[in-house]
Amino acid sequence: MSWKLFELLVQASLYTVLISFASITIGLAIGTAVSGAMLSPSRLLSIPGRAFVSFFRGAPLLVQLLLIYNLLPALGLNVPSIVAAITGLSLCTAAYQAENLRGGFQSVPRGLLEAADMAGLSALQQFRRIRAPIAFRLAFPSLVNEAIMILKASSLVSVVGIVELTRMAQDLAASTYRPIELFAAAGFLYLMINWLIALGGSLFERSFRAGRP
Amino acid sequence: MTVPAVSVKRLTKRFGQTEVLHEIDFDIPQGMVSCLIGPSGSGKSTLLRCMAFLEEATEGSILVNGQPLGFAEGPDGKLARLPAARIRAVRSQIGMVFQQFNLWPHMTALGNVSEALKTVQGIPRREAEERAMQQLKKVDLENRAGYYPSQLSGGQQQRVAIARALALEPKIMLFDEPTSSLDPELTGEVLNVMRALAADGMTMVVVSHEIGFAASVGQRLAFLDQGRLILNGTPQEIFAKPRHRRLDQFLDTYLDRGAAMLV
Amino acid sequence: MNFDTGLILASLPEIMHAFSVTMLMWVAGVIGATVLGFLVAVARRYGPRLPRHLLRVFVEVIRGTPFLIQLFLLYYGGPFIGLSLDPVPAGLLGLTIYGAAYFSEIFRGGFEAVPPGHVEAAECLGLNRQQTIRRILIPEMTMLVLPASVNMAIILLKETAVLSIITVPELTLVISAIGSQQYAFVESLFLLALFYWGLVEISGKLGRAAEARLSRFRLALA
Repeated sequence: MSWKLFELLVQASLYTVLISFASITIGLAIGTAVSGAMLSPSRLLSIPGRAFVSFFRGAPLLVQLLLIYNLLPALGLNVPSIVAAITGLSLCTAAYQAENLRGGFQSVPRGLLEAADMAGLSALQQFRRIRAPIAFRLAFPSLVNEAIMILKASSLVSVVGIVELTRMAQDLAASTYRPIELFAAAGFLYLMINWLIALGGSLFERSFRAGRP
Repeated sequence: MTVPAVSVKRLTKRFGQTEVLHEIDFDIPQGMVSCLIGPSGSGKSTLLRCMAFLEEATEGSILVNGQPLGFAEGPDGKLARLPAARIRAVRSQIGMVFQQFNLWPHMTALGNVSEALKTVQGIPRREAEERAMQQLKKVDLENRAGYYPSQLSGGQQQRVAIARALALEPKIMLFDEPTSSLDPELTGEVLNVMRALAADGMTMVVVSHEIGFAASVGQRLAFLDQGRLILNGTPQEIFAKPRHRRLDQFLDTYLDRGAAMLV
Repeated sequence: MNFDTGLILASLPEIMHAFSVTMLMWVAGVIGATVLGFLVAVARRYGPRLPRHLLRVFVEVIRGTPFLIQLFLLYYGGPFIGLSLDPVPAGLLGLTIYGAAYFSEIFRGGFEAVPPGHVEAAECLGLNRQQTIRRILIPEMTMLVLPASVNMAIILLKETAVLSIITVPELTLVISAIGSQQYAFVESLFLLALFYWGLVEISGKLGRAAEARLSRFRLALA
């Protein structure tokens, strides 16, 4: 495979990383809010929260992407395709991240909160200083996993016209008649990026384990 | 003179660089209850597991009723591993009861006890289950035969485990800390089953923290410390004063557990 | 909203056919992936060294790359090495291989989660390796891997939608085609999403019911 082709793939993979990163970040923000809603004692918040998670984990991502891509213009929002794509990915990952965070929050050992109570911390202080940090640490591995999932899922935005890594490989394969090389190279790039994400995740995890025995 | 039930000769066991047992030499007599006692890490569980061939000795040999277990000296004087069928044949004389019971969760009590009869000995299901029921009766659990392990208490599970081992009519029963995983109220029912078994004349080797049991039911005691056999004899001999220094130190930590009567 | 009921009724046979294709791909895919995944897990545990390493690489690659890339490789790349497949067989093969990699990890974890003491007890009671695997390891493993397997099966259901990209005539392809013909694209996609959602929810509930029924086999704690 010529360097030129590979270079094009690498450029496209940077675009993939950009899209994935944007979606993960926005998804984390939405997901945090949704998990808060799910854990809320108020049914007004918890029921829509659970419904959101259920729907966006229940329908296939491809269908969600097609839906949003066509829904936004129908609602009068003529946004560029990339915005529609990121919106679709973000909503999907938000649902999974909400579920991971919810699990993290509910796994915080009760005893730790009771100790905080006895030490006189207010509810807000308990949340900020004990519950949230621990929940985040517990949920972190699944969040890293989710990042890897989004990276792979981003290949689907190729069907709504975004030229990321998969689409680039497709186009090049069609014009050079070398699908095996190109898709294998694309696969290799995905593997590399995933490996980097996993590495980054475990380094980051180690940093906040630093103080532990 | 009858052959000892188990004969351990110069047994040494190493895990990597760590030596856990050092040249252990002793015999388990027939028809008696032998207890292995000692502090944590003394190697007593490892020694028991070697007798069951769950661990393979690094050096030395084990004879069960005179027959070599696992390894035997070949004509060239070197130790050779015996064929799997021979190992199974010798092992079939031994029954093992584990600290964690190890009942199979997908079978009922009756299923657990009858499994080896059916699968290993090829006994037809109806007969195997009858025999299993007899064993369950002996440990007083015949009305729990259809229960699954998750539906039984710890003490009940351990009694089923004992019945399971007895179903194969072993000549020697090994117990690896049989009551250590039980709540204190539940140890009694298991120790009583073991007492009854001893009264019937079964050769038993027990690793246990229950010093009271060892002192009252044990007929031979072996005290191990840091992989070495320090003392070996009847309870009277071992506990007679003046006591070996290490034994004294060890008993000090167990005063609460019924050793007070020995002080 | 823009529904022409007459046209919808006329399309009903097409929709039914698409539904049956989705179901076929899903069920056959899950069965194939489970069987292949189990074989891979056994080979990785008991097999000789070279196949073990190769299989490990295979599993890591499949799990680390997008499903779509794997499909493209099979469907567009296949003919170049003599493997000319129609969309449906290609999709089925792709789904099976993809699922098998994930199932093999699930089963591998299951093997390791069976308490070693249960295997030791079997040994002491005289069961040989084959009897131990058959009577103890596999039944215990099945209980342990059930939740993860149900999850994976549901994931595979959602992945069948991706098969539309290589023109497999399943639900997503057909419904979006009909929808665009009728200028009711958004509505039909929405119904499609709801439909998958319903299927996923039902499967989830069935899976949890199966887990509950097997809960009496749960590992007993001391």
